[in-house]
Amino acid sequence: MKLNIDGLLVYFPYDYIYPEQYSYMLELKRTLDAKGHGVLEMPSGTGKTISLLSLIVAYQKAFPLEVTKLIYCSRTVPEIEKVVEELRKLMEYYSKQTGESNNFLALALSSRKNLCIHPEVSALRFGKEVDGKCHTLTASYIRAQRHSDSSVPVCRFYEDFDAVGRQVPLPAGIYNLDDLKDFGRRKGWCPYYLARYSLLHANIVVYSYHYLLDPKIADLVSKELSKNSVVVFDEAHNIDNVCIDSMSVNISRRTLDRCQANVDTLQNTIQNIKETDANKLNMEYRRLVEGLKEANVARETDVYLANPVLPDEILQEAVPGSIRTAEHFVRFLKRFLEYLKSRLRVHHVVQESTPQFLKDIFDKVCIDRKPLRFCAERLQSLLRTLEIADIADFSAITLISNFATLVSTYSQGFTIIIEPFEDRTPTIANPVLHFSCMDPSIAIKPVFQRFQSVIITSGTLSPLDIYPKILDFRPVTMASFTMTLARTCLCPLIVGRGNDQVALSSKFETREDFAVIRNYGNLLLEMSAVVPDGIVAFFTSYVYMENIVASWYEQGILENIQRNKLIFIETPDAAETSMALEKYQEACENGRGAILLSVARGKVSEGIDFVHHFGRAVIMFGVPYVYTQSRILKARLEYLRDQFQVRENDFLTFDAMRHAAQCVGRVIRGKTDYGLMIFADKRYARADKRGKLPRWIQEHITDGSLNLTVDEAVQLSKHFLRQMAQPFRQEDQLGLSLLTLEQLESEEMLKKISQIAHQS
Amino acid sequence: MASLSEEVLLVLKKVRQRKQDGTLYLMAERIAWGPEGKDRFSVSHLYADIRCQKISPDGKSKIQLQLVLHTGDSTAFHFSNDSTALKDRDAAKELLQQLLPKFKKKANKELEEKNRMLQEDPVLFQLYKDLVVSQVISTDEFWANRLGDTNNSDSSLSNNKQEVGISGAFLADIRPQTDGCNGLRYNLTADIIESIFRTYPAVKQKYNENVPHELTEKEFWTRFFQSHYFHRDRINTGTQDIFSECGKQDEIGLKSMVVQGVKNPLVDLLSLEDKTLDEGYGVCTTMPSTSNRTVKDSSNSAIIKRFNHHSAMVLAAGSGKGETAGDPASETSCTDGNSRDSDFFQPPVKKAKLQEAIEYEDLKKEKKPKTIPLNLKKSDRYAHGPVPLQSQHYSTSQDIINSLNYIRHEMVNYKPNLTQVLCSTTASSAIAALSPGGVLMQAVTQQAINQMVPTDVQGELKHLYAAAGELLRHFWSCFPVNTPFLEEKVTKMKSNLERFQVSKLCPFQEKVQRQYLSANLTGHLEQMLQTAYSKFHVWQTRRMLRKT
Repeated sequence: MKLNIDGLLVYFPYDYIYPEQYSYMLELKRTLDAKGHGVLEMPSGTGKTISLLSLIVAYQKAFPLEVTKLIYCSRTVPEIEKVVEELRKLMEYYSKQTGESNNFLALALSSRKNLCIHPEVSALRFGKEVDGKCHTLTASYIRAQRHSDSSVPVCRFYEDFDAVGRQVPLPAGIYNLDDLKDFGRRKGWCPYYLARYSLLHANIVVYSYHYLLDPKIADLVSKELSKNSVVVFDEAHNIDNVCIDSMSVNISRRTLDRCQANVDTLQNTIQNIKETDANKLNMEYRRLVEGLKEANVARETDVYLANPVLPDEILQEAVPGSIRTAEHFVRFLKRFLEYLKSRLRVHHVVQESTPQFLKDIFDKVCIDRKPLRFCAERLQSLLRTLEIADIADFSAITLISNFATLVSTYSQGFTIIIEPFEDRTPTIANPVLHFSCMDPSIAIKPVFQRFQSVIITSGTLSPLDIYPKILDFRPVTMASFTMTLARTCLCPLIVGRGNDQVALSSKFETREDFAVIRNYGNLLLEMSAVVPDGIVAFFTSYVYMENIVASWYEQGILENIQRNKLIFIETPDAAETSMALEKYQEACENGRGAILLSVARGKVSEGIDFVHHFGRAVIMFGVPYVYTQSRILKARLEYLRDQFQVRENDFLTFDAMRHAAQCVGRVIRGKTDYGLMIFADKRYARADKRGKLPRWIQEHITDGSLNLTVDEAVQLSKHFLRQMAQPFRQEDQLGLSLLTLEQLESEEMLKKISQIAHQS
Repeated sequence: MASLSEEVLLVLKKVRQRKQDGTLYLMAERIAWGPEGKDRFSVSHLYADIRCQKISPDGKSKIQLQLVLHTGDSTAFHFSNDSTALKDRDAAKELLQQLLPKFKKKANKELEEKNRMLQEDPVLFQLYKDLVVSQVISTDEFWANRLGDTNNSDSSLSNNKQEVGISGAFLADIRPQTDGCNGLRYNLTADIIESIFRTYPAVKQKYNENVPHELTEKEFWTRFFQSHYFHRDRINTGTQDIFSECGKQDEIGLKSMVVQGVKNPLVDLLSLEDKTLDEGYGVCTTMPSTSNRTVKDSSNSAIIKRFNHHSAMVLAAGSGKGETAGDPASETSCTDGNSRDSDFFQPPVKKAKLQEAIEYEDLKKEKKPKTIPLNLKKSDRYAHGPVPLQSQHYSTSQDIINSLNYIRHEMVNYKPNLTQVLCSTTASSAIAALSPGGVLMQAVTQQAINQMVPTDVQGELKHLYAAAGELLRHFWSCFPVNTPFLEEKVTKMKSNLERFQVSKLCPFQEKVQRQYLSANLTGHLEQMLQTAYSKFHVWQTRRMLRKT
């Protein structure tokens, strides 16, 4: 249908529309008009992605000069591919309606592992191996060697791409990862570099967060994207953690040992080169004196490692004299390494700020701040000069030099914690230096500054106001949309007591309590008898799940559950869990029914949807608080309190509730779907917890379902499931939660729609 | 004695049968009992005829052994030798236990099959009674066609038969019970054993290897339950345990399952993340290393692994071939050995899954041909049929006048389309046929037949129809008669038909007449038979002609 969104003609590739989609597009349009940032929360399964794409594409077509590019960031590879498929649908609709062939170029970008078509390289299992191997085939000096010695292996796909691929831009169209590979195979061009090259003139780019947020990658890939792009972060509820992760470094004793080996190798290589080809080193030295690093960086394949700090922090000056010669630099690195080793020899926990650390390093080994800042860059230059092909081996020394650059660049927002042992095993020495970023706004700041509109959206962003706070930006729109429903297809229940009136809670004091564990077991057992097909249960942590499973096993609860359903359990091993997941789906598919025991914050809770019969109920055992005893977390909480006036408890509850919401939200993926959401902890009943759940869940929690016993919950579930099992047709939704164009344009409906968006 | 050449395996004295003392003989092929002082057996059963044996529970005063035959009859022996009764009984039982299975396999499979068919199909059974028991046709004739059918369809039938899955909790069903004195007792049924074998092929292999030459069945299961394989989370007790190998095999099985990877790209957690952080980056990459995990932890994770494996195996056993054969997609990924090479095969699955994932079924107009929903104003009228109009539904006189006027108006304007009318004779005959009592309206009276005729006659008629149908089927299936066998058969069938008419149909006709039931109930049957006869005659005359 063709929609009129505030004066903009929007093609929407469906015959019907949900009211909230219309409302969402209105808000989005306002954000784009204002050229500002927005925070939008809309329940999962209400067609967020297609609304976003429809509106932004329409906007791009209408104002091609104001919005030149859409950068759509999602979290997982399947998500990325889904977005591109939806886009394809939209574009097909466009060309059908307008009769013109599509002149848009949209493509997905992923790591080499997902795009490589080189038969040997793509057979490698791990992303790092693929990257390393690719580098050994495509680095500029390897290719230079090839000129003189044709036995040197190179990648023919890259060679072909380099020879002709750049002359003709990628023809307009929608390219998913597989399409890129197909195209690459047909032409004999490397899809990865083709995609990276095409980013510059593509109208729509879909890739993962890291390409924008991790400075090590962003600098390579996303550097030249135009300023008037719209950036969308989908599934952005964890965006702060992504930001923090990309700026944090951990150094263990093993890292240092490997680093030592790296330094030795470097030293030997330098010695060798000095004897054979001293000229090369001199050339490098001269280049560094002149600050001509840029000229050499131009070759895209060489820039394997970029600076770990954000672009605006990189010093635009020449490398200081003390580390200009290769030998000096290696000696410098050695000194730094020895210093770190001595720091790791502590017997008690040390926590200090970056200035303290820098002062200490200056006092002890006389290392200045400035050469440290150039460490990463200098190492890059050296590795390139020494023509070391397999950079994967040098990950340890790269890590250390990145750390050096980071620690000397940022004086705020970071903390250094040295722990001589793990808390759980105080007798075993395992010293780790955590250099941890506490301020997510550091990594995301350049994104907000550079692009005219940044949209942060997800199914669960409540409470909305905390995101602008912790990411430190000022949005022009903040809105939360509810799900209009013709039938209440979600049923949140808070189970606070067992049948024996024992309060259910995963809080620390009662966590080992036998009665609580037994009651949790009963809840699952009873539910397994009532709920059809799949049940997903989430625990607060892996250790907690292990303990509970063991004691359920001893009490014979699991055996009784097995009478009703098969049991699958998430393990720390991703491959094993994938297998369990697939079997779980198979068991749901063939009608046997299954239970998946899983962990909040785990991979399953973040990336897997349980649509329809794959999840008819989700049980959240306990409140998934993060492990609060961790020093890194404590430091971060302190920082949040001091810098952003976010109280510790508020943040912890917010964090726990967003994960809980993520977990329970996994079962509802649309209006035709239905599912139970059981919060098995009495603490959920409290207003401060409940209030932090997304509005679309919150509004269905009745006062009567705040402190149920297991039996009561089972009764309510039975009733709910029986109701939901009745046939549900399109006509039932029409006019309420599903609109035709005429219905949408009626005065009354527009008034109703304006209430869907909840501004905060 | 009947046949002394028979090998006598066991002789037990003082065994009572029907309150008579006697001696029990267990011979190579049969079990026999003769009353004391007589030299012939009054009871003799071939082992092949015995379905099972039952024994009286321990602690009962009467020590008995009961044999149940395939026919359903049973014979009970009472061991009355005071001192050795129990021992005698057990000796007999043990021997029978060994002997019976050997003969069981020999037992006439076909007979069982026939028996089963007759039991499952009451119509067939009735037919059997009508035709075979009353000796219209012989048993062989009856089955010749039937079994032929079933044999053809047999293989497909047994394949089509849905394989019964395994309960996920079959191990839970074998709850050990304490027997009062420091021991545990497990109750195993054949079903449970089968479940164990299907779920854990390794155990089955062990069973085949060790039972019965190394261990008795009982010992085997005792060990099984004692083994850490069953109590996997407990710490290993001894390495000479025969099941320790099974544990390892299972582990390998699980690993291979994991290595095979998953077909659905949307649940593959390994390729979920696009760009994982390199080692050393990130907030909390230091996982607790496995070395310093406590024993308890590792036993816990063993439980978790075991549950995953168990569920996967149960699922595989339930879905028949499971992963061994699997669909082509899995085969490719198996043969390749690595999942990346199967890239070429992946996209269709992946595309389909992606499409499925982005679909909003309710946003689209339904594509399927629009069915017209039944629009019922009064659903009870639909359910109960027309009922007399209620008084309040009578039209007002104004309505009637209006409609009358309307009809009049219509009639005034009525112009017959004379080119398409029937001629008056045809029209009147059609009217006559459609009037009550006419040819086409006889159905109305026919309907009453099921009220007119008593139910027993109806039932009999049904049976006659079934029997006649069966015979006629045989008869007609002979055409075209192109082999000597068929010639023979067709003549035989004809005589069968005649016999049927004489022995079954005629008595029935008489009976009907006796009861003064007017309607010609058997008319159609006779007609069918006549058609068959005439066909036969035509065939016969033609054959004669050809011969001459």
